[in-house]
Amino acid sequence: MSLLSLLIFLPLAAGLLILVLPYAWQQRYKYVALAAVGIQVIMSAFIYLNFDGNAFSGIDAKSKYQLVEQVSWINLQLGRLGSLQIDYFLGIDGLSMPFLVLSSVVMFIAVLSSWEIKTNLKGYFALLMLLNTAIMGVFCALDFFLFYIFYELMLLPLYFLIGMWGGARREYAAIKFFLYTLFGSVFMLLVIIGLYFSVQDPITGNHTFNMLHMMNPDNYIPGSIFSALAEQQIFGIPARLLGFIVLFIAFAIKVPIVPLHTWLPDAHVEAPTPVSIILAGILLKIGGYGILRICMSIFPDAAIDSAWWLGLIGVVSIIYGALNALAQNDLKRMIAYSSVSHMGFVLLGIASITAEGISGAMLQMISHGFLSTMLFFLVGVIYNRVHSRYIHDFRGLALIMPKYTTFIMIAFFASLGLPGFSAFIAEAFSLIGAFTSESVNGLLPRWMAICGSIGILLSAAYLLWTLQRMFFGKTRLMGGEDWKSKLTDVNGREIFVLTSLTVFALLLGILPSLAFDKMNASVLELIRLVNLK
Amino acid sequence: MNEFLPHISQLIQSTLKGFSFLLQELVLVLTFILVILADLISHAKRSAWAYRICIAGIFLSTGVGFIQNSDIARVTLFDNSLILDSTSIAFKYIFSAVTILFAIFIRFHKPLQNHRKGVGDLYMLLPAVLIGLNLMSMASSLLMIYLSVEMVSIASYLMVGYASADKRQTEAAMKYALFGSICSAVMLYGMSLLYGFTGTLNIIDPVFLNRLDLISDPAVALAIVLVLVGIGFKLSFVPLHFWSPDVYEGAPTPVTAFLSTAPKIAGFAILIRFLEPFLLPAQSYKLPDLFDFRAVLSVVAIVTMILGNFSAIWQNNVKRMLAYSSIGHTGFALMALIAFEGSGFSSLIIYFIIYAIMNMAAFMLVDKVADHTGSTDIRTYKGLGKVLKVEFVCFVIVLVALTGLPPTAGFIAKLFVFSSAFEYYAASDSIWALGLLITGAVATVISLFYYLKIPLYAYLKNSEAAVAVHVKRDFLTVVIVFLTFLLILYGLFPGLLS
Repeated sequence: MSLLSLLIFLPLAAGLLILVLPYAWQQRYKYVALAAVGIQVIMSAFIYLNFDGNAFSGIDAKSKYQLVEQVSWINLQLGRLGSLQIDYFLGIDGLSMPFLVLSSVVMFIAVLSSWEIKTNLKGYFALLMLLNTAIMGVFCALDFFLFYIFYELMLLPLYFLIGMWGGARREYAAIKFFLYTLFGSVFMLLVIIGLYFSVQDPITGNHTFNMLHMMNPDNYIPGSIFSALAEQQIFGIPARLLGFIVLFIAFAIKVPIVPLHTWLPDAHVEAPTPVSIILAGILLKIGGYGILRICMSIFPDAAIDSAWWLGLIGVVSIIYGALNALAQNDLKRMIAYSSVSHMGFVLLGIASITAEGISGAMLQMISHGFLSTMLFFLVGVIYNRVHSRYIHDFRGLALIMPKYTTFIMIAFFASLGLPGFSAFIAEAFSLIGAFTSESVNGLLPRWMAICGSIGILLSAAYLLWTLQRMFFGKTRLMGGEDWKSKLTDVNGREIFVLTSLTVFALLLGILPSLAFDKMNASVLELIRLVNLK
Repeated sequence: MNEFLPHISQLIQSTLKGFSFLLQELVLVLTFILVILADLISHAKRSAWAYRICIAGIFLSTGVGFIQNSDIARVTLFDNSLILDSTSIAFKYIFSAVTILFAIFIRFHKPLQNHRKGVGDLYMLLPAVLIGLNLMSMASSLLMIYLSVEMVSIASYLMVGYASADKRQTEAAMKYALFGSICSAVMLYGMSLLYGFTGTLNIIDPVFLNRLDLISDPAVALAIVLVLVGIGFKLSFVPLHFWSPDVYEGAPTPVTAFLSTAPKIAGFAILIRFLEPFLLPAQSYKLPDLFDFRAVLSVVAIVTMILGNFSAIWQNNVKRMLAYSSIGHTGFALMALIAFEGSGFSSLIIYFIIYAIMNMAAFMLVDKVADHTGSTDIRTYKGLGKVLKVEFVCFVIVLVALTGLPPTAGFIAKLFVFSSAFEYYAASDSIWALGLLITGAVATVISLFYYLKIPLYAYLKNSEAAVAVHVKRDFLTVVIVFLTFLLILYGLFPGLLS
C-alpha cells in the first residue's frame, strides 16, 4: 500500500468507521472525520516536501511520475472484444501534486466548517468522506477507467450533500448539478471507449485505458478511429477534434464555462457552507485539471486547433461572470459568479499554451481554491448567525464585527488581485501568457488578454462595492437588535481557519516559487508534448 | 411409410442419446411432479413443503447442469432441434438463479401468502416455467422456438392472473393473455411461411438459408417480421410494449419482478438463436437487400430506449416506472445484440446477469417498502429514508446501478454494451451504430432523472408528519442486501463474472 493509496482510501475507512459507530456518539463523528483529514493534510505536506519538481516532470512518461503504483486490476476475457485489461495505476507529477495539497487543506476546512451541520450527522460525514476519497482518486489516477470511476463517484455524495442538507431550493439545485455533470460524463465515456479501441499497449498488444499510452501517437492502431494518421470523420467533423470537444465539454461543465455554468450558482447557493467550499475549492479545479491532463495531453493537435475558441470562452466567462456578480443581491451568489469569472482566467491561460499561461492557470486554480474557500467560509459565518445572505440586509458590519471585517477585506482584496496575494501572480501570469501567445505561437490574439484584464477591473468593482454596502457606514440591520446580538464576531475555530487560509494566499503571493518550482518542469513537458503533435 | 423404417432405429438412438444432455430439465420435470404431490398431500402452512421441494429441485437441477455441462463446447440434440453450447448454458444458469430468487420472493410476499388460493400452485409453476426458459435458450428449430415460447407464456398468463383480486388486475391478466396469444399466432404464421419457403423447420440447417435465398425478398422479410413480432412480445420492445406497464403494475410484485427478468432474457436468447444463422459471417447467405436486420433492429432499439425512458419520467407508480425502465433496458440490450458478430455473446450475457440482479433487487425493494407502507406510489416515500435505513441505502445503490454509474455493476454492463456497439461502429462505420451510441448516452441521462425520484422523495423531501412505520426485517432483507453487495462487488471486480 503506497502513500497515494493510503491518501485515497483513508477517508473511506474513516467513513465506514463513522457508519458503524453507535448513534450515541454522533457528536464525535466530526472528530473522526477531522482526524482522517488531518492525517491527509500531513501526508500531502510530506508528499509536497519530498516532491522533486525537476526530476518528476511526468505527463507522458511513467518513469517521470512519483509514487507510481501499478497493479493489474480487471482482467477479463471478452470474446470478440479481446481481453479487457485495466490497471490500478496511480502516480503524481507537477500537475497533480499541488491539487493533492489543495484538496486536503480545503477538505480540512470543510470538515471544520461542518460544525454547523446539526441533522443526520452519520450520513453527512460518511458521504463527505466518500467524496473525499473520490476527489483524491481523481487527482492520482493515471488510468482513464480508474479516473472515470472516481470522477463519477463524486456525483452521488454531492447530490445527497446538496439535496439533504441544502437550502430551500435544494432539490432543484441537486438534480440540476447531477444532470449537467452526467450529461458531460456519459459522452466522455463514449470517447473513453473510442480511445480504448484506438490505443494499444506497446508491450502486451492489448487495448488499454492507460492515459500515458494514449498520449503517445505511436500507440494508436493504424486506421483506428482516434488515430491521427487515419483522419477519420464523424458527422463530417474530424474524429480527434470531436473527441477533444466532447472531453472538453465534460470538463468545461465542471470548470464551469459560460454558457454551461448555470448549475453553479444554484448549487453553490443551495449547498451548505462546507459543500460550497468543496465545490468551489476543489470540484471546479477538477475541470481545469482534466483539461490539462486529458484534453490537452491526449488530443494536442485538436487543442491547438481550438485554442482560439478556448481563449474566447475564457474571456467570455471572465467578463460575463464578473458582470453577473455585479448584479447579485445574494452574497453567496455573487461569490459563485466571481468563481465563474476567476475560472475564466484558467481557461485563458491554458488556451495560450505558453509556459507563463499554463503556470498562471495552475496557480490561479490553487489560489482560487484557497480564496473561494475563504470567501464561502466567511459567508457561512454570517449566514449561520442570522440566516440571511442578502447584501442589502446588512450595513455597517465593520462596527459590530471588526475582526470579521478584517478577514473579509483580506479575502476581497486578495480576490481582486492585489499584489502580494496569490491571485495577483496567477492572473498576471495568465494574462502575460495570453498576451505573448501571439508572438510565441500565434494562437491567441492580443485583444483577448486586454479583455481579460477588464475582468480584473470589474472584479474590483463588485468586490469593493459589496464591501462598501455591507461593512461601512452606520450599522443598520434587517433584523434589528435581534440580529445585532446574534452577530457575534468570529470565534477561535473560525479565526484559525481564516488565518491559515490568509497565510496560504499570502505565501503564494510573496513566494510563488513554492508552487512554480514544483510544477514548472511538468508544465514545460506538457507544452513540449502539445507542440510535438 | 416403409421408406422411413430404416431410419427409425437411428432416430430412436439419437433421441435416447439426447436425453443424457437434458438431465437438468429431467430433474425439473421430476420436481414439478413432486411439488404437485407435496402440495396435495401436505397441508403445511404456506405450502412450506412445496416451497422447499421447489427450491431444492431447482438447486439440484442447476448442480446437475453444472456437472453435465462442464466439458461441453457445442452439441446438437434431437435431430438438431436443440443446441447446447456455452451461450445456452450461461443463460440456463441465469434462469435458475432468477427462478430461485422468485421462489424466495413469493415466500415473503404477504398478499400472495395470505391469498385464499394459497401459493402451492404458484410453486408448481416454477419448475415448469424454468423448463420452458431452458428450452428457449437451446431451441434451434422453429417448432421448438414456438413450443418453448408458448410454454413460458402460458405459465406467465397463469402467474399474472393467479391472484387477481380487483378489476384492474383482472384487466391486466386478460390483456396479457389476449395480446400474447395474438402475438404467438402471428409468430406461428411467420414460421409457417418460413417452413413453406424452405421445407425445413431447422434454422441451423444450411438448407434453410439456401432455399430462403431463392424466395423473393419481400416475402422473406414479411415472414421474418412476423416471427420477430412474437419474440418482440416477450421482449416488450416498441411497438409491442403496450401490455407491459399495465401488466407489471397489475400483477403481484414477485410476478412482475420475474416477468421483467427471466422471460425477457429468454426472449433475447431466442432472438440470438433466431438471428444467428442470418448474421454469422461464416454463412454464404446474403441478407435480403430489402430487409436489413441491423437497421430494423437499430431503429427498434433507438425508439425503445427513447420511449421507455421518456415514459418513465411521468410515472408516479414505482412498479410502472420500473416497467418503463425495463423497456428502456430492452432497447439497451438490443444495442448489444445488434453489435454481435459470431460467438461474442459475453458482453450480452454479462449485461443480463447484472440486469437480472438489479431488476430482482429493485422489485424486492419495492415490495419491501410496500409491505411497510401499503403503497407503491413514489410520493408516499416521503421521509422513509430515515426509517427504512438499510432498505433505502440498498435502493439507492440498485438505482445507481440501473442508471449505469460506477462503481456499481450497472456501469460495467453499460460499458460492455457501449464497447461492443462501438467496436461494431468502428468495424462497419454504420450510421445506425453511432445513432445507438448517442441514444444510449442520452437515455442514461434521462434515466437518472426518474431513478433519482426515489431518493428524492425518500431523503430530500421532508415529510410533514412523522413517519410511523414499524420496521420489520426478514430473510428477504438479507437477500436484498446480498444482491446489492453483489452489484458493488461486480462493479469493482468484474473479473469475478467470468
